Amino acid sequence: MSAPLVLTRLSMRFGGITALDRIDLAVAPGEMVGLMGPNGSGKTTLLNVVCGYYRQSGGRVYLGDRRLDGRSAAQRARLGLGRSFQVTKVFRRLTVMENLLVPALTAWSLAPAAARAKAATVLAALNLERLKDARAADLSGGQAKLLEFGRMMMLDPKIILLDEPFGGVYPELKAFMQDHLRRWNAAGVTIVLISHDMGALFGLCPRVVTLAGGRVIADGPAEAVRRDPAVLDAYLGDHYAA
Amino acid sequence: MTLPTDVRVGLAAAALFVALPFAGLGDYWLYTLTIGFYYAILAASWSLLVGYVGRISFAQAAMSGLGAYTSVMTVLGLGWPVPLALVVGAAIAGALGLFIGWLSLRLHGPYLGLTTIAFAEILRIAVTAEHQWTRGSLGLSAAPLIDGATRPVLYFVALAVLIATVALLWAILRTRIGLFFQAIREDEEGAASLGVQVTLWKVVAFALSTAVAGLGGGLYAHVVGLISPTMMSLQEMGYVLAMAVIGGFHNIIYSALGGVLLQVLLEYLREIGEWRLAIFGLITILILRFAPNGLFGTLAALGAALRGRS
Repeated sequence: MSAPLVLTRLSMRFGGITALDRIDLAVAPGEMVGLMGPNGSGKTTLLNVVCGYYRQSGGRVYLGDRRLDGRSAAQRARLGLGRSFQVTKVFRRLTVMENLLVPALTAWSLAPAAARAKAATVLAALNLERLKDARAADLSGGQAKLLEFGRMMMLDPKIILLDEPFGGVYPELKAFMQDHLRRWNAAGVTIVLISHDMGALFGLCPRVVTLAGGRVIADGPAEAVRRDPAVLDAYLGDHYAA
Repeated sequence: MTLPTDVRVGLAAAALFVALPFAGLGDYWLYTLTIGFYYAILAASWSLLVGYVGRISFAQAAMSGLGAYTSVMTVLGLGWPVPLALVVGAAIAGALGLFIGWLSLRLHGPYLGLTTIAFAEILRIAVTAEHQWTRGSLGLSAAPLIDGATRPVLYFVALAVLIATVALLWAILRTRIGLFFQAIREDEEGAASLGVQVTLWKVVAFALSTAVAGLGGGLYAHVVGLISPTMMSLQEMGYVLAMAVIGGFHNIIYSALGGVLLQVLLEYLREIGEWRLAIFGLITILILRFAPNGLFGTLAALGAALRGRS
């Protein structure tokens, strides 16, 4: 069973710049939450702090009753926090199969043969079987995005944090990825999704959180956020209210 | 089951090295190859760190020297047997590697390279300066590896150590640890996001690599019988780098073969003096530019492509 992700008064400052300003946010188990906002609003910084790439300047991050801050990114991943990146971080000189084995084998209790079997099911689910021996460097942008999905699946995550997963992806693949996200979510995986693709964001996420200037300016049901004057003013513009 | 290409190349080379003494190769060239086996261990250890983990280091020759001095002084000072002293030398070099690895965790590229150069020079200068312990640049006499051993015996012992070392490294790299190393080389953040303990494995890689270099240095000391701070110089490090790059530094077996090949060429071209170093430098640049997988890596790929066409 998933655990709630709770951020309390989370702040992140880079020198004189405040990227996150006392963010309070709770994501319940099994929720799919959209995170949007203009460029520089702090969305990716928020994911980086939650994942452990940045040490927050203030506040706390909890996964259930466990404090995450102070733990390394790897420890957080092992606790069930999956992450994809705006620019894919596939291991280019490793094969697709090896890319999938890395997260699985970080669990020392899992034998390599069992990890391979698990990877085979993930490859089948993502229609990547024929590419299993291809080097990740030879994949298209969309295939690399799918591979990142696959690597997260190998972690058996409780929560996944997705940063622009549909960027540069052709429509059929986007639909395929959205279908997978819905299935994951239906299976109980909590999802936090950053996307500038408003159609995908509002189509997938019943709840949407909007950041601007490192602060939460709106948080609620997607339809309400879409019409929120503060959101329209800061990000969406009037045509989205229609 | 088909063996991987690099293993088949390695086994063929090992068979050739075993056969050479029986084919009448003289003591001079057997000794040259014995020294080549030492360089092969160093090149393989450097390749582990640079080729697999993506961590640059210019301290491999210095670590080899540390292993050599530790081993020799353990025999001289404590009267321990040479095999045990070799283990101590490797352990001390590995421990210092662990420290350097930890200290340089957040450093990358030129910053890491410069840090390892600084460490290498500190070690070399310390060994040179501590005359009462090391006899400085006069050098230190080492106990023989095996009392009364002939050149062919030393040759086979060094070959056995090389094969065992490369086989051990190869086996480690085939486990999940090898996969973690390569994931770190490709993208540290990406690896961490998947649960790879980047800090741990970077430090382990440094320690393993320097321990192997220390073992190689100890072996060299007890084979040659005399060590001096020269073996820790940056010029020696340059040889190791050229050997690994020319052999193929993304593969420990090819790097090791590069070590043997260049040592043989160094001897063969002795008549042209310092020019051979300039030639090796040029070859290294050309390999890096046109054949980044090195000589053996490129030949193996060519062989595979030809087999695929036929």
